[in-house]
Amino acid sequence: MMKIISCENIVKSFSAGNEKHPVLGGVSLEINEGEFISIMGPSGSGKTTLMYAVSGMDSIDSGTVLFDGRNLSALSEKELSDIRRTKMGFVFQQPTLLKNLNILDNIILPAMRDNRKNAARTTEKARALMKKAGIGELEKRDITEVSGGQLQRAGICRAVMSQPKIIFGDEPTGALNSTSAQKIMDMLSEINTEGTAVMLVTHDAKVAARTERIMFMCDGKIVSEMRFKKFNGTGMEDRIEAITAKMREIGI
Amino acid sequence: MYYRIIRNDMLKSKLITLTTMMFVAVAAMLVSLSAILVVNLSGSINMLMDQAKTPHFMQMHSGDIDAGRLADFAEQNSHVDEFQVLEFLNVDGARIVIDGNSLADSVQDNGFTTQSEKFDYLLDLDGNVITVSDGEIYIPVSYMKDGTGKVGDTISINGKTLTVAGFLRDSQMNSLLASSKRFLVSENDYAAIKGSGSMEYLIEFRLKDLSEIGAFETDYTSAELEANGPTITYPLFKMLNAISDGLMIAVLLLVSTLIVAITFMCIHFTLLAKIEDDYREIGVMKAIGLRVSDLKKIYLVKYAVIAAAGCMLGFALSFVFRDLLLENIRLYMGESEHASFAFLFGIVGILVVFLAIVAYVNNVLKRFRKISAAQAIRLGTSQGKAAGAKHFRLSRNRLLNTNIFLGVKDVLARKSLYATMLAVLIISTFIIIVPQNLYNTISSKSFITYMGIGSSDMRMDIQQTSHISEKAAEIVKAMERDSSISKYAVLTTKTFKAKAADGSEQGIKIELGDHSILPVQYSEGKAPVAEDEIALSTMNADDLGIKVGDVMTLVIEGKEKDFTVCGVYSDVTNGGKTAKAVFSDESADIMWCVIYAKLSDPSLAEAKTSEYADRFHFAKVSHIDEYVAQTFGSTISSVGKASDTSVAVALMITGLVILLFMKMLVAKDSYSIAVMKSVGFTDSDIAMQYVSRSVFVLMAGMILGTLLANTIGEVLAGAVISSFGAASFQFADHPLSMYPLLLMAGTVLIATMLGTWGAGQIKLAANMKE
Repeated sequence: MMKIISCENIVKSFSAGNEKHPVLGGVSLEINEGEFISIMGPSGSGKTTLMYAVSGMDSIDSGTVLFDGRNLSALSEKELSDIRRTKMGFVFQQPTLLKNLNILDNIILPAMRDNRKNAARTTEKARALMKKAGIGELEKRDITEVSGGQLQRAGICRAVMSQPKIIFGDEPTGALNSTSAQKIMDMLSEINTEGTAVMLVTHDAKVAARTERIMFMCDGKIVSEMRFKKFNGTGMEDRIEAITAKMREIGI
Repeated sequence: MYYRIIRNDMLKSKLITLTTMMFVAVAAMLVSLSAILVVNLSGSINMLMDQAKTPHFMQMHSGDIDAGRLADFAEQNSHVDEFQVLEFLNVDGARIVIDGNSLADSVQDNGFTTQSEKFDYLLDLDGNVITVSDGEIYIPVSYMKDGTGKVGDTISINGKTLTVAGFLRDSQMNSLLASSKRFLVSENDYAAIKGSGSMEYLIEFRLKDLSEIGAFETDYTSAELEANGPTITYPLFKMLNAISDGLMIAVLLLVSTLIVAITFMCIHFTLLAKIEDDYREIGVMKAIGLRVSDLKKIYLVKYAVIAAAGCMLGFALSFVFRDLLLENIRLYMGESEHASFAFLFGIVGILVVFLAIVAYVNNVLKRFRKISAAQAIRLGTSQGKAAGAKHFRLSRNRLLNTNIFLGVKDVLARKSLYATMLAVLIISTFIIIVPQNLYNTISSKSFITYMGIGSSDMRMDIQQTSHISEKAAEIVKAMERDSSISKYAVLTTKTFKAKAADGSEQGIKIELGDHSILPVQYSEGKAPVAEDEIALSTMNADDLGIKVGDVMTLVIEGKEKDFTVCGVYSDVTNGGKTAKAVFSDESADIMWCVIYAKLSDPSLAEAKTSEYADRFHFAKVSHIDEYVAQTFGSTISSVGKASDTSVAVALMITGLVILLFMKMLVAKDSYSIAVMKSVGFTDSDIAMQYVSRSVFVLMAGMILGTLLANTIGEVLAGAVISSFGAASFQFADHPLSMYPLLLMAGTVLIATMLGTWGAGQIKLAANMKE
């Protein structure tokens, strides 16, 4: 199995005034191509910081992050942008769409940066994705005119437009009700089965239960890990139970 | 507590606070300077004219004079308070040699006079009536300014040598626009040089009531008294004295109005942005029961502090510049009678600016009432209108680069936000173009044709001499033979009587000759061609109440003859009251004769001018450029200075506002920038988007600004120009006028790049986390 991400001994601290607060205290992690993983932990355990570090969104103090074999710390801003645009997708807790553009334009935005000549094909692809996500009829709407769940689905459509190698999700269902959350997880699962790796940060056992590897973080370190088979729609309760048991066990 | 909140707030946004304060300071400075200048100028003029006891009505006359008849008229006329006839000894410039240089090139009519006894005094630079001793001479202050002479120089007039003892202020003829200049000598010296020139008389009256001047003028004309020369009245003297500095004040006032407008827009913009930033907090404060007036007070006090500081700074700055700007007024007209008043007016100007700002902020803050606490807390932003320009879609865009598209789209979607920037750019374009065009227009060669002077290369004046027509014929003969002269026109001026509508008669000077050869600009109608056609100067047409197409009656050789008015033109020469016709007349005396010549090679003008001057001593020959430079030179150069200043000011304002605007925009947009970056847009993509926004607004601003400049600006400039007597004009096109606009475009680009420098280098993680 090819590794899409491999990081070693990541250290990162935030400074407040003259004091330094360590957030990541030497984390090592590997993610394989097509893998579906999640990171759990209490607030302040460093899970979101870890995701920003491995995706190159934030700099690190020491350690290495290899993405697709390339050291992210050694890349220029331009090269990092290129990777983000073509090989990574991001989904955040709050949908991050631009207010000025309608839903369709938001989805095709990154693709249009490089490929204006194929605008017609790009637009067709976006329409197909939106239809699949159940928001096909919303393309001309402004982002203030649709619900949070619909926006989040649009965000995922934007993330998969470039057929990335991995999608990073920071609490993608955190702001949604359970029905909307379920739809988002269905979408991400489907994308994963088509071969894209997914890395989620969550504190929701129901979300983690859909993934095949769960890492537990505490105080800036990965303290434990558990694995499941790829989720096939059954055995959800057992997986949730196993996760909560594990959380109790390690005291988080 | 207010103090702490406000201090923290200002420290947090130093750049914005400082910039706003600077704008207030500049606005306050300009307003107070304008006020000080207006008060000083009008005060100085009044003081000068009071001290000198300027005549209310003056008739220049060359030729014989019947002093007894004039004295009788003055005695009997009920309007007259005082009356005198002064002699003015007009001496050819070539015969006056100051410190080795003759005044041969001067277009002014230089002449000598003695101190008057009753009124119309010549004053020294301290405002005292000069008493001149034998062997001494006082020369006009304008010759001090241009360095023609200094104290201690010797002046020789046709062989008689005098020493310059000082300079004089002449309430009549100070201005360069007045074509005569008086030199003051003692009675004995005057008697000695009396034979060196031709005598002209200044027939002067002071009236009991200045408002009766119109009636008196009519009385004088109908009495058929001496009138062989221009007539000038008190208001015209006043205007001549005010023009140059008045123009400067007008430009200053215009610029200060615009800067005040820009200051308002900056305040509007920063205040709204601040309210938007604080939206949630405002909601919370409202929710916990703070009163709206408490909230308003915090903002109001902050801006009051900024405005007060700016105003004080501006007042201090006005002290630095006022002496520089007052220099000219002080030199030509002396101290103002209400100098302390000026100080007061300066303070009033500053107060007006301060109060206007506070009132404006208070007005903007009215929208506090409309903020709903619930909405503010929940959404954290005002429920902005859904994105505008809905139909401008990325998915349909095939033409523009995506970054450019996003830039343009942002401008269209947030029009009200960019309105400030657009307005500043429009105003800047306007204040760059209008003074520039005004300058190019009045300094262009063709402009003199708007002023009643035919477009030509050389001008020869024959006046104050006998046998004018023979002398003119002599010159014409020489010109006929001269192959380098392509065209010439001989215009002979004679006085006739015109009948006004009410039957009263009025003297009118008519220039006779072929007016189609080297034409002036007609603001209405055309040049006279037929024998029964006449064209009038604007002042004459207004005075007689006659329009193009009307019929007017002249009295020629005792007989009445009707003429059709075929055109109206502007004129600043000879007091502005002239007329043009083509009929031939042998009856009236020739007052003067002007020959205009156009050369086949204009570069020869200088050589030809001196050649003709050498050949025809009786004529005053001037190179037209020189004539214009000497007549309008100081006005043109003040407008030029003002135009350069406004370009510099406009560029500075543009640079600062755009810089400020971009900084605020980047701060406001940090979330969108983070989103862009997270989906893979590079720093240079983002920079490009900001530059596109700027360029888009810049283009709109320049186009609208240029349009406005060529419509409203032309009208405004026209108002300025009409104060010289030119009735209508069009901006002269000038290729160089593009150059400052390019500078402006460059300034905008640089300011945008500086303002958005590092826009991409934001902490993605910090801006994406909710």
